This record gives sequence, C-alpha cells and structure tokens, in this order.
Amino acid sequence: MALFKDAETFEKVLGGFFRLMADTPVIADKLLASKMIIRFKYSDPDLAILADCSGDKMKIVINDHDTKALVEMSMSAEIAHKFWFGKVNLTMALTRRQMVAKGPIPKVLKLLPAIKPSYAMYPKYLDENGFSEYNIW
Amino acid sequence: MGGYAGQILYVDLTSGSIEKKPLAPEFAREYIGGLGFGTKIYLDLIHDKPDFDALSPDNPFVLMTGPLTGVNMHAVARWCVGSKSPLTGFWGESNVGGFFGARLKMAGYDGIVLTGASEKPVYLFIENETVEIRDAAPYWGKDVYDTTDALLSDLGDEKKASGQVVTLGPAGENLVPFASLINDKGHVAGRTGMGAVWGSKKLKAIYAQGKGKVEVARPEALKKLRADLKGTYAENITIEALCAFGTASHMDVGIVGGDIPIKNWQMSDWDQIDDLGPVKYGESILTGNKTCFACGVGCKREAEVKEGPFRFAKGPGPEYETIASFGSMCLNPSLESVGKANDLCNRFGMDTITCGATIAFAIECFENGLISEADTGGIALTWGNSEAIVKMTEMIGKQEGFGAVLAQGSARAAKKIGKNAADFLTTVKGLEAPMHDPRSAHGYGLAYAVSPRGACHMASLNYPVEGGGMYLPEVPGLDNEFVEMTSDDRALVNAASQDFGMFFSSCAIFCNLGSMVLTTGNAVDMVNHVTGADYTLEELLRLGRRVWYMKRGLSNLFGARAEDDCLPKRLMTPLADGPTEGSVPDMDRMLKEFYQIRGFNEQGVPTKEILEELDLPKLAQLLHG
Repeated sequence: MALFKDAETFEKVLGGFFRLMADTPVIADKLLASKMIIRFKYSDPDLAILADCSGDKMKIVINDHDTKALVEMSMSAEIAHKFWFGKVNLTMALTRRQMVAKGPIPKVLKLLPAIKPSYAMYPKYLDENGFSEYNIW
Repeated sequence: MGGYAGQILYVDLTSGSIEKKPLAPEFAREYIGGLGFGTKIYLDLIHDKPDFDALSPDNPFVLMTGPLTGVNMHAVARWCVGSKSPLTGFWGESNVGGFFGARLKMAGYDGIVLTGASEKPVYLFIENETVEIRDAAPYWGKDVYDTTDALLSDLGDEKKASGQVVTLGPAGENLVPFASLINDKGHVAGRTGMGAVWGSKKLKAIYAQGKGKVEVARPEALKKLRADLKGTYAENITIEALCAFGTASHMDVGIVGGDIPIKNWQMSDWDQIDDLGPVKYGESILTGNKTCFACGVGCKREAEVKEGPFRFAKGPGPEYETIASFGSMCLNPSLESVGKANDLCNRFGMDTITCGATIAFAIECFENGLISEADTGGIALTWGNSEAIVKMTEMIGKQEGFGAVLAQGSARAAKKIGKNAADFLTTVKGLEAPMHDPRSAHGYGLAYAVSPRGACHMASLNYPVEGGGMYLPEVPGLDNEFVEMTSDDRALVNAASQDFGMFFSSCAIFCNLGSMVLTTGNAVDMVNHVTGADYTLEELLRLGRRVWYMKRGLSNLFGARAEDDCLPKRLMTPLADGPTEGSVPDMDRMLKEFYQIRGFNEQGVPTKEILEELDLPKLAQLLHG
C-alpha cells in the first residue's frame, strides 16, 4: 500500500517542504549558488517537483515536465519521504536503482552538502504542519 | 591456461638462490590466484616451524598477482602481498593497484615468494628471464619517490617508463611496524606493516620489466563482455563519482549516514566537514586524475600545494581514508595539510590510516593531560592544529622525539603512555580501524572484529555490500533488503561477504571500487573467459571460503583467539547525537552467530572437523594436534 493516499496529499506534504527549503537561507543560498534546475520525479503517487535555482530566488513548481532541467532524480514517494529524514542509504538506493539520477554527477554530489540541514527540518515540518502521521522515522 | 604467466619466483635472500617454479594447472584451478596462492604457499613454508617473529628471517613474504592482473579490462590491475605482520603479530596482508602486478606478469611471473634475509641492502631486478639480486646501497636511506626515480634512471628506464618499481621508504628501513610498500609513488600496500618485513630482510625494492603478454583463453568472449559492460559503467553513478571526484566523493555521501569518524570517533557530524569534501579538493589541491593499468575508471587523484607551510610537489593526492584519518579524525579542516601529511607518508612509506589515527589518539591523550608539550618536544598536539599534525607525521617518519613513540602504532604507544590511554584506542588486533563507523552499519563491527588482519573494511565484501555499493543477490545471504543500524542477519552477511570476497578481491583480484558494478555473473564469466576454466559461483564460494579459513587459521596459529575478536571501547560507545545517535552494534550476538556459522570453538579457532571438511588437514593438525 502506498505511503501517501493520493497525489494531492503527497503534493501538500512534499511540495510544502520544498517551499520551506526555498525560504530557508542556509539551504536556498547554496542551491542558488549552484544555478541548477533540478526535477524530482516521484512515483506511487506520481508527482514532479521542479526546483529552479537559476534565478535570484528559488522557485518551486509542481508538475512542470517541460522546463529543461540539468539534473533529474527519479524515485518512489516512499523513498523520497525516507530520504528527507536522512534515512536513505544513498549509495544503496542508487546501486539498486531505487533512486535514478540523470545529469552530471559532480553537480548532483554538490547538492548533498547543501541539503544536509533539511534532514533535521523535515520531521519538525511534518509535526508543525499537520502531517504528524507521516513522522515515522 | 589463460591469465597466468605460468611461473612463481622463489627468492631466498639469505643464500641468494633464485628458483623459478612452474605453476601447476591443478594448483591454479584450486587456489585461483592472489592470496589464494599466497596463503597456501605461506602455510606450506611455515608449517614445520610456525613460531617466529614477524621481523625474523624465518618469516616468508608472498607477493601474488591474480589471473586477471594485466588483462585489458577495467579495475583488474591489483595484486596482493602477505606475511606475518610486525604491527599486529597476526596474519598481515595488503592489496594494491597500480602497474607493478601487470608488469610482473608480463615479465613471466605470477608471483614472488621471499624467504630469509640479506645481510646488506639489496633489490630484486626482474626483466623477463633475467632475475638478479642486486646491491641497493645507493638507494638505502632514500625516500620512496627518490628511490623510484633513481632506480628507473639508473636502469635507463626513465624514458621508456614501462618498468615498474615497488619500494619501501625510510620507515620500512627503520622497521616502523606500519611501514608500507609503494609502487609508482602512489599505489600503496599500506596496511599491517609489510614494508617493515622487507626492511627486516634488507630488501629495498623490486624492479619488474616485461615484454610478454597476458594471454586470454577466450578472447572473443572477453571482448563481448567488455562491450556488454560499457553501458553498465557509463550509467553507474558511483563510477561516475569516482571518476569525477575520486574516493574523496565519499566525504559527501558518508556524512549523511554517520559513516565518517570525527574527532577520534567521538562525533559523527561536523560543521566543517565540507572543507574536506570533493568540491573543496577540486578547488584547492587537485591537479589531475591518475589510474591503474588498463583501468578507465581513473579514480586516483594527483595533487599539489605550491606555497606555504604545507607545500608539496605535484604527486599522488590523498584518498578518502587519508582525508578522514588526518582530517576529520583530528578535527583538521585543512586539505592542504592533509595533502602534505599524505605526501610525507608516501615518501617515508607509511600507512596513512594507522599514522593519522595514531595522531588522533595522541591528540586525545594530550587533551586529557596524559602527555604534554614536555613529551612532544614543544608541539601542541591539539584538535585541528594542522601544523602540529604535519610536524608529528614527519617526526613519526624520522622516528624523532615523540614521533618514535607514535611510530610503534597507537596500541603500543598506549602501553608506553600508560594511565587510561587505552580508552582512546580504536584498534582491533592492534590495527587501527579504517574510516567507516560500525555504529552506522553494525556488520562493519563484526567485519572488523573477525578480520584475520585486524580492523579492516576490505577483508571481505561486507563494507561495499552493507554500505550499498555492491548488490549481489545471487550470493546466499546477500539477497536482503538491508535495514540500517541493526545487527540482524549481519553474521550471515559477513560470512557470505567473506566467501565471495575472497574469490573477488583476494584471488581473482578485482578492484573493490572499479568492479563494484559487476554482478556475480559478470565476475565469474570474466575469470572463466580469461583462464578458460568453467567455474560456477558455488565452486568459487567454496574456494573463497577455504581461503578465508586459511587466513583466519594463520592468525590463530600466530595466537589470535576469541578475546581478540572484539571492538575497542570507543567504537562501542554510542554517540549522543548525529545520524547514529544511540546506535551500537550488538557484538555479543553477532559474534555468537558468526562463530556458529563458521564452526569456531569457544577460543575462536575453527574446529578440526570444519578444517578437515575444507580440505585443510595441515592447518587442522597445527591448530589441534
């Protein structure tokens, strides 16, 4: 059974978190410095989140499949949810193709230090925004 | 037989005799190569007289290639060395890349067995059929880089640049127990003090030059496999990361799960970790990539610091283990100083893991007042003091002042310092733990505890399997979905990783990094295509298992017992925060399960029955009478 009951719920949970990250300077500033456009493609339920860091402000766009992204990360919603707790063994997920990354790997690796503070933010965000039922890790 | 040169060199340094023994096909089939050959030969040499010091002439030394060494495929350039370790007193070994193994094979030899000891410094000259013991007096005292350059120059080889040198440095000459052997300046047989064994034999170097070719039994099949793997390599993100950033890429990945030890294993997160990361590496000290023989992965780095207190000339750059040992372990955010420490270790010929970890240990002793500036000759050994860390590295290499104490490794240094210095140790069987935290992956803890050579993440494939880099579901016991930070099933995972790992890393000698993309089918096919054999996975697991028991048995023979199969207190102390908060491996449970799986008695020795079942009667007799 899918972790999130439908795409709308998933969008509220994860989309909201992405918007929080976009408004958090310690994360956003580093991502903006990268000038990257990253698309996260989720399945079960299906959702796409585009993080556009190419401008002056980080833009989060839901279900944009057209903008040219430098990096594209594909994974299930469950893996994505676990990832933002910092609980995914990234190496294992990539080896077993639970996560698939397309794009220049040096750029992908550069994202990791930038998003590290988010792992502590996510559980707090879930509790504070009425998503405590998903605070399972 | 494809893949094999067909001869092993036996060199006795006492008498000066050199013998070329043919490699029997049955022996090759049974023991595959690498330390499959090496442990069997070593055991046969010592079984009449197994009681000797690691630095005595009675300690043989084996240097072996595998059937794949020198073949034109990615990630199969490696070769192995083994002997009784002067650091631990148990079985010691090291696995190394570069170019020497291929060149030795092309000269016509699958390996070299060294016995006895020379009275004067010598080097072994190998050029095809010509094998000579030559005077090494002009090179004795020179560092690794100068020795390599001088020997190649003197042999008229510097322009041809195809002969290869493996050498020890001043640390090995002076019998530092963690002295290393180094090929081409940056390919290091680092762990367990194999350089000191050569030092005790007054063997300075081996030069190998060969014009032969490594024959492949089924070249068309191998060519097809190479073509089939092209896409696998192109799509694999870990390979891409290794190519782009080298092993330093692990600094960004490992920190997420708490894998990287920080402040002598007291922390698992640090706000300055990015200063040691691959991006900073690229921006500061990196000058280029290097590779091993025929390997397109190119994970080795070249580095340089042009000016300042950490200046070093362009040369091999630090790998992840070195960055962590001299960097995060010492709370030292200066990559330049880590590069300098790496350069010093390479020149002196010392294991960077032991050296860096021993300095981190000493810093903690200093912090706690067990040693002071009176002991260190005025050097303030404090966390993050980059200058002090580099200075102490040099003093260890020269065995000067307090450096002479630390040059014995942290376990012996702790005994000398006394008081509660042992509380700060991170050794198993006297070998300092590598830079992967068992509190983040409990199976690592068991792997370190039972590894025949001491704390080691390469003694089996447990680290890449549990760490996620390799996926081997065809191996029984490795088809799990791994739940993090649990001790469940880790005994079986370790045993299975050892069985396959012995074939993979120790006998065929695949590189654990560049070959991690391979399936078991790819690996078995490659060995069969090269050798012409018809191994099955089941047979290779059985052969690998036996090699593991030989290594374990050798350590038992040298005195290792159940009480040595344990983690130090520091690695069994849970951290109060960070990604591994509260996590500690359940060593009692994992050891109990592992002993049961492996048929060990309460003393940690394989039973007579299990050894006889594995067709190891000599080992059974030596251990049980």
